[in-house]
Amino acid sequence: MEGMEFIAKAAAYFGAAFCMGIGALGPALGEGFVAAKACEGIARSPENAALLTRTMLLGQAVTESTGIYSLVIALLLIFST
Amino acid sequence: MFNGVEIVNLAAYFGAAIAVSLSSISAGFGEGHTAAIASKALARQPESSDKISKTMLISQAVTETCAIFSLVVALLLLFGGATKDSGGIVKASSLLAAGLAMGLGSIGPGFGSGFTGAQACKSIGRMPKSESDITGNMIVGQALSQASSTFALVVALLLIYAVPDFEGLNIYEQLLKAILYFSASIAIGLGTLGPGSAIGYVAGRSSDMLGRYPRQRAVLVRSMILGAAVTESTAIYSLVIAFLLMFAV
Repeated sequence: MEGMEFIAKAAAYFGAAFCMGIGALGPALGEGFVAAKACEGIARSPENAALLTRTMLLGQAVTESTGIYSLVIALLLIFST
Repeated sequence: MFNGVEIVNLAAYFGAAIAVSLSSISAGFGEGHTAAIASKALARQPESSDKISKTMLISQAVTETCAIFSLVVALLLLFGGATKDSGGIVKASSLLAAGLAMGLGSIGPGFGSGFTGAQACKSIGRMPKSESDITGNMIVGQALSQASSTFALVVALLLIYAVPDFEGLNIYEQLLKAILYFSASIAIGLGTLGPGSAIGYVAGRSSDMLGRYPRQRAVLVRSMILGAAVTESTAIYSLVIAFLLMFAV
């Protein structure tokens, strides 16, 4: 292994770590906020619990997408260099 | 330069300091927040002081979990015998990374569990009759929040004890292995920040709502667990990336 190859691989692995680490922050905070507000809504109007749970899961699935982008980019950085 | 036992000892001491100091930020803040809100609730409802104090102590004990994990990792780094057998920069990096993983990984759960405990104490002050329901909901929520610190503990223990020797590698390959272990610790450390605190927020809001609407207990606990499980998924992605960085490359 030569110097340039070492620098490229090191940067890719560091990049993967920061990509997944920081990329997990936003989706988790957003999903937690969605779930907390869904709990409040369900407590206030329990007759709409099924509708609220469905909306919560839909919102969380969309919020999750950026976390999945981070995962994909991290996997690409690890394995395609 | 990179092959002495001294550098391994240095890394172990530094890693122990990082683990304990970073974890005590969040655990201290979370427990203090719980105690503050519990005092406020107690001032409003002095007659239910024993219930509020009991829940406050339980919640502080659960919040302490991540700090205790960090203490265990720090003690293992100092006295666990991982530094005796071999030297080299790979071992040094893995020990420093273990401390960093556990320290960063306990920040989120500490804040989250502290928020949950505070909301539960507030809620008991409002509705002392449903104390056992609220405490049970709080413990489930805090356990879900501390799950991400358990991920960090797993990675830290693997970094301390499951790193093989790399005697025959040249300097570039050794440095690359060192960077891989360090990257794994950053991935799991930063990746548990969001889930730990967000699950704590979910559990806190659900405990608060349980005090206002005690009859909706079943549906509230169910939706809290569902929401927390989905929120945990990003911590699991981070764990996967950390394992891949440690063992698959």
